[in-house]
Amino acid sequence: MVEGLLILSCLIPALHFADGTASPILASGLFTFNVGLLLLVRFHRAKRPTDRRVAYLLVVTMWLVMPLFGTLPFLSTGVLHTFADALFESTSGITSTGATVFSAVEWLPSSILLWRSMTQWFGGFGIVLLVLALVPSLGINKYSLYTAEASGADNTGKQATSMTATVRQTLGIYLLLTAVFVVALWKNGMHVWDAVNITFTNISSGGFSIYNNSLERLTHTQQYIVALAMLLSGINFAMLYNFFTFHWDRLQNKLEQFFFYISIYLVAAIFVVFALRFNMGFDWGDSLRCGIVQTISVLTTTGSLAADTQNWWVPITFLFVVLSLCGGMAGSTTGGLKAMRVLILIRNVRKILRDKLHPQAVNPVRLNRKPVAPSIITNVMVIFLVYAIAIFLGIMLLMLSGINATESIGAVIACITGYGPGLGLSGGFGCYAGFTVAAKLICSFLMVLGRLECLTVIILFFPSFWRR
Amino acid sequence: MSAKFHKRPLTELNPYQQLGLRKFNFKLIARLTGMMLVYMAISLALPLAVSFYSRDGAQFAIAFSAALILMLGLFLRNIVGRNAEYELKEDESYWVTLTVWLAIPFCGTLPYLLTGGLASFTDTVFESFSGFTTTGSSVVPYPEELPESLLVYRALTQWVGGLGLMLFVVAILRKLNASASQIYEAEFSGTQQRKLHPRLARSVTRMWAIYSLITLIMFIGLILTGTRFVDALCLAFSTVSTGGFVTHSGGVSILSGGSMVVVTLFMFLSGINVAILYRFFTLRWRHLARNEELRTYTLIFLISCLLCAIAFQAVGNDLLTSLHYSLFHIASTMSTCGFYIPKPPHWSFAVSVLTFLLIIVGASAGSTGGGIKLRRILILMKYVGNYFTRMMHPNAVFRVKVNDKPVENDYINKIFAFVFLYIAFIVGGAFVLTLCGCSIPDAICMAAANISNLGPSPLINNLGGNLDYTLLPNLAKWTLTLLMLAGRLELFALVAIFSPSYWRRGY
Repeated sequence: MVEGLLILSCLIPALHFADGTASPILASGLFTFNVGLLLLVRFHRAKRPTDRRVAYLLVVTMWLVMPLFGTLPFLSTGVLHTFADALFESTSGITSTGATVFSAVEWLPSSILLWRSMTQWFGGFGIVLLVLALVPSLGINKYSLYTAEASGADNTGKQATSMTATVRQTLGIYLLLTAVFVVALWKNGMHVWDAVNITFTNISSGGFSIYNNSLERLTHTQQYIVALAMLLSGINFAMLYNFFTFHWDRLQNKLEQFFFYISIYLVAAIFVVFALRFNMGFDWGDSLRCGIVQTISVLTTTGSLAADTQNWWVPITFLFVVLSLCGGMAGSTTGGLKAMRVLILIRNVRKILRDKLHPQAVNPVRLNRKPVAPSIITNVMVIFLVYAIAIFLGIMLLMLSGINATESIGAVIACITGYGPGLGLSGGFGCYAGFTVAAKLICSFLMVLGRLECLTVIILFFPSFWRR
Repeated sequence: MSAKFHKRPLTELNPYQQLGLRKFNFKLIARLTGMMLVYMAISLALPLAVSFYSRDGAQFAIAFSAALILMLGLFLRNIVGRNAEYELKEDESYWVTLTVWLAIPFCGTLPYLLTGGLASFTDTVFESFSGFTTTGSSVVPYPEELPESLLVYRALTQWVGGLGLMLFVVAILRKLNASASQIYEAEFSGTQQRKLHPRLARSVTRMWAIYSLITLIMFIGLILTGTRFVDALCLAFSTVSTGGFVTHSGGVSILSGGSMVVVTLFMFLSGINVAILYRFFTLRWRHLARNEELRTYTLIFLISCLLCAIAFQAVGNDLLTSLHYSLFHIASTMSTCGFYIPKPPHWSFAVSVLTFLLIIVGASAGSTGGGIKLRRILILMKYVGNYFTRMMHPNAVFRVKVNDKPVENDYINKIFAFVFLYIAFIVGGAFVLTLCGCSIPDAICMAAANISNLGPSPLINNLGGNLDYTLLPNLAKWTLTLLMLAGRLELFALVAIFSPSYWRRGY
């Protein structure tokens, strides 16, 4: 645990960037910075974590402590009055979920808006870093949760041999993408300030907005640009890196996931476009735009809205729920189960049918033409099952806290996948303000749970974890 | 895969193979289906007798449909299936299962059609499948208006479907011994049951015997507690098979208190593995205490009842009502019977959620109930528990054991895939239901209730109360029908048919 705080403290100063326009923010920024510094000084001699348990604890602590400190700007400026609200908003930012308790955001001070966008931007980068750099270097990949990306079938998840190199490359790609999209939006007639905020929240598949009506305010071209940003944010960063550095031969080992991700997107988008056109009476232009932008927003679990989806045709909203569960590629900023896992789940069913048909044949589950190790298949299965159970328990708890069935389902899935807007009042341009304190805390927990892919968090609840 | 094998020239192949299809033993499939139809026609004698006895005007319709089914059966058995080779390949057992499971329910629509008790063809198919799959979802809002013989027929379909149509085949066809065990597997297990007797046919006979015996005891119990003859007959059929068709729009609440106790008890019993019940009746009780699945089943039952009663107490119902309702409701849900009684005055959401969980989990493997089955859940939970320990100690070796016997990893993988498919089916079904205008929770509950063969879900309709499936559009009814069948055949048989590799010419 002591060692865990070392890396934790390295991340905390990042919070210092919390825009110093208002003195409360400066104060909270300084406070966080000092705490971070204090921890760093206090523990800078600590050894690098070697114990598996410490590694798990470290990861969870990071994602619990960062939202805690993230509440400071909200509370100190007085835009949110209760701790539960602030925690919800802050967790939603750090986990790049995008669920909000603000029914309107345009009255907020710009520093707070930037802070919200920023938490998402850091959160999005954090998860990519965790999966691509930190986990492999901590050596918890073998039986851990990020196996899908970090080991086994997919050794190339790590582009570089050393952790620092990976961090540098990932950061490079992330900064590059951010810069490109800020410029693109700015060139297309958006104010730089808005462009920065919107890029921050969409490249990280977060989904906070600085407008009450999210993307609807933007021009059509700008919306398509944002859609492209979301599409890219759903792609594995190692893949993006290899693509931009012309190492195209290395793309092969993730090609199937990529095509799966794209084909899900296309099929769903086509359905949504037609449903909008023929069931909801949008004209062709609108249905095409809303279909394209909204579907990618859902699939990458971003949660930016091209229109108020609250009262959309029920099958579309249901499809959205399913899509957000699927999510983008592993090693990207998106949430959900991830394309690779879904692919393995489907192929495993096929394998079992083949086993029945040809009992003598060897029928491995293949991904990118390589057989997938059984340990990875089980890992995927366990994550799937735990995910399902977590969703179920979440819905149960929310219903017990007095929220109706539709909204519970929507909120739980929106939070655990990191999509953001739920169903009913919390969906569309609505917000989570109507939730009870208990419900908000449950949702915040679910966001962290979903972001860390369940197992890391749940293992802490096993008594055997704490036993020596 | 097959491309790598040496291919024979096209001229040497039979017509199916030339088309790139596999060769199936159609004759045997036809013969078995025909036999089943003949037996089905014979079983129609019971409703016919009731019809003559009560003079409800359905005599002709039932006799006529029996004759039609008999003719079709004889045609398939003696003409199409003449000289059939009694040999089935591993995977053809799926076909036998599926064909029988389609042929029988479709022929089973005849009595409904001819008596004209139901509105449309879709309705009759829905009702018939709901019967044979022991689901118990009904499009008849007022069953008391149907002729009594039809009520008996409805319940009879559940009783026959309960233990599995294919077990009939297996029991009848002793010739099939080797192939029969595949049918038995395709139909009834996927859960690695131990057979009751080394010879499959005999163990199946024993299962039917015990099944009939339980039905008889329940029937007598109901008569002794003052239930009408026809009601007792129908209820005995639909309880023991965990079906859930009722004879009156008031459900089972029209029964006397004593009869309610009988129904509750037998609902509980019918959620238990038939093999275990066999040991119970043959007085080998030693086995019972040691059986892990039975222990879990009982434990979950008691805990759920307790939780349910507490939840009802908490929202302000009196103790007696809460207890009474909890016992009945949980027994009905766990065994996937799907009977309902009037709700207590104050409803608790906790119960809705608990019910949903129990619906998905379902009854014990090897029982007549549906759902994922307790045995699978038990194995999965143990495995996931082990997995977390293994995350910390990567070099440790764990083995999941049930009843002190290790479970193979391949089998665990199969269960995982099963659960994935199960959830996928629920989600897919729910999606189609939302297309038909259901709200999302309604759609999910309905899909889950039908794939688990529960029937009228107490969750549906504003989370409490029994839904009238009558109001659904046709697409929704067909979807639910498919889900019932998928759930009853434990998915793989159905999915296999739709997978392309199944049709391709093998080596």
